[in-house]
Amino acid sequence: MSALLEVSGVSKTFDGFKAIDNLSFSINEPELRAIIGPNGAGKTTFMDLVTGKTRPDSGTIRYGELSRDLTRMSEARIARAGIGRKFQKPTVFEAQSVEENLTMALAAPRAPLTVLWRRNRARDRAAELAERVGLAAHLGRQAGTLSHGQKQWLEIGMLLAQDPRLLLVDEPAAGMTSAERERTTEMLVEAAKSHAVVVIEHDMEFVRRLDCRVSVLHEGRLLAEGTLDHVCADPRVIDVYLGRPEEEAAHA
Amino acid sequence: MSDASPSLVRKYSGGAGAGPRSGPLILRPDVLIFLITLAALTIGATFLAEAGLISTAFVKTLGKTLCLCLAALAMDLVWGYTGILSLGHFAFFGIGGYAIGMWLMWDRTEGIVLDTLSRGPLPPTALEIEEQIGTQIFGVVGSSEVPWLWAFAGSLPIQLAFAVLVPGLIALIFGWLAFRSRVAGVYLSILTQAGTLALSLWLFQNDSGLRGNNGLSGLQNIPGLTDVPQSTLSLWFLWASAAALALAYLAAAWMVSGRFGSVLRGIRDDEARVRFLGYEVEHYKLAIFTVTAMACGIAGALYYPQAGIVNPAEIAPIASIYLAVWVAIGGRGRLYGAVIGAAVVSLASSWFTGGGAPDIELGFYTIQWTDWWLVLLGLSFVLVTLFAPKGLGGLVDLYTDRRAAKRNADLGPDAGALRKEEDA
Repeated sequence: MSALLEVSGVSKTFDGFKAIDNLSFSINEPELRAIIGPNGAGKTTFMDLVTGKTRPDSGTIRYGELSRDLTRMSEARIARAGIGRKFQKPTVFEAQSVEENLTMALAAPRAPLTVLWRRNRARDRAAELAERVGLAAHLGRQAGTLSHGQKQWLEIGMLLAQDPRLLLVDEPAAGMTSAERERTTEMLVEAAKSHAVVVIEHDMEFVRRLDCRVSVLHEGRLLAEGTLDHVCADPRVIDVYLGRPEEEAAHA
Repeated sequence: MSDASPSLVRKYSGGAGAGPRSGPLILRPDVLIFLITLAALTIGATFLAEAGLISTAFVKTLGKTLCLCLAALAMDLVWGYTGILSLGHFAFFGIGGYAIGMWLMWDRTEGIVLDTLSRGPLPPTALEIEEQIGTQIFGVVGSSEVPWLWAFAGSLPIQLAFAVLVPGLIALIFGWLAFRSRVAGVYLSILTQAGTLALSLWLFQNDSGLRGNNGLSGLQNIPGLTDVPQSTLSLWFLWASAAALALAYLAAAWMVSGRFGSVLRGIRDDEARVRFLGYEVEHYKLAIFTVTAMACGIAGALYYPQAGIVNPAEIAPIASIYLAVWVAIGGRGRLYGAVIGAAVVSLASSWFTGGGAPDIELGFYTIQWTDWWLVLLGLSFVLVTLFAPKGLGGLVDLYTDRRAAKRNADLGPDAGALRKEEDA
């Protein structure tokens, strides 16, 4: 096991607001990691920094055996290097079919001319992925007509289709039924057997089920790291995130 | 999946943008219907013209309309599919016209000059010939020197290549600068419009080397084919225009199918998401911008010999805006929509402005269509944008939707929901 992603001393300020403040973070391959934190803790900004959407003001983000500097790479190159991202709000191409969405995401050459000339339709692979995320019966359907949960699944399918080494998953369980959540949990745990998976989640119950190391973010800084029970016992974490109600409940 | 799916796929993929599950390109309904219609129209027009039932001028109007359809097709690719609202594609059309016009003018003038000089006592020198041609062509702007732009004007193959390559090169450089800096949306539209304005203003100058506001004229006379009557030439150009449009339609249908088309439409709908899938959005935009500019160059090269004259007014920014209006009225994001829009609007335009439409007497005021056509066009554009965003091409959906509904009675309450599937 070696660190696949190494974020060190990264800071990012938006109009005077310190979204990320001297944050260091690393994840191995394979590993499953949950990031929790209250609103505005910098969770999504953290993902933006790793995927190249936002550039840090200072600090380095290194990735892979070659320790490539992600802060100098375009979003597309970072994605091709093996970092896949699932957005908080399901972000699929609503005007296109499930199959087209999956086909676009499938790991294959991305250069325009190659895409234009090589027309291996990879329908088997798309169908197989649809099967995995429970959308086999909906391959021809327009993604915009899927239910919220199905869109989440489609996006997870697209993430898997890219075959990334590092999966950044932002609130995968949002808007899902409990049965869907359970399947999502299984899938993430399964993926983490061979990949590095970072899950951002609000739902503590969901994080508990993931049963993994947890990093707590607060005001752009890493507040605590460890098992869920460990961080939940940390008074600072209780203070900023879990809030008083649980404490009161504990006293009661 | 049940047999209900193919019709749904067709319904939602916006007609021409049919997904990866479509069969051979040429057998796809929209492609087949388009090609048959185009062939029928061309053959029909030929017979009518041979029988003397339609005038040579009308055949030329048809041929020119097909060229405009080709430009609209390119505009649909770049705007309707990829979401780049270029307001400068008609400039590429004009450049194509200028490139071919230079050869047409040069070669014809050279013929006349040689004819005149050969009657002199001494055989003319090359310098004399060039000087004479210069005086003939550029006398109108008070010059007799041949500008450097005309260095290859005597060569048809080179000027033909220029008709395609110059628009392509300009688009490549412009696009590279703009897309690299992530200029998009309305800013890109403004930039393309500014570039178009700059080009037309430059062309208006007498010392631009392209005869200022006189433009290039007499282009309907094709050197070497002076014995062929215009009535026959007009048919040849009609056929050439139809062939170019057919090929372009096939090429466009091929491009927008499969993963490449998916990526284009993805860029239109959410370009950031496409980046996170690992696609270099800028490369795709640049490719489509350049290819469509070249297509417009070809369209222009076919159009202006039929029009007979190309001048800077053709390249004016408003022309490129018309192109966008045609595509919007015809229906963005479907290839036949662009063609329908360009054909309907440009033919209506020649009917209204050519005195074909009768004036309307209101008693206190007479609506003369030569003045009011633009108002009507503007109004239709606003109405289509507000109430029928799918444009005229959207009418096709009325038919396919009804067929789809007949075949799958199990459509759920909301559009596209298959109740059977949901319950399963």
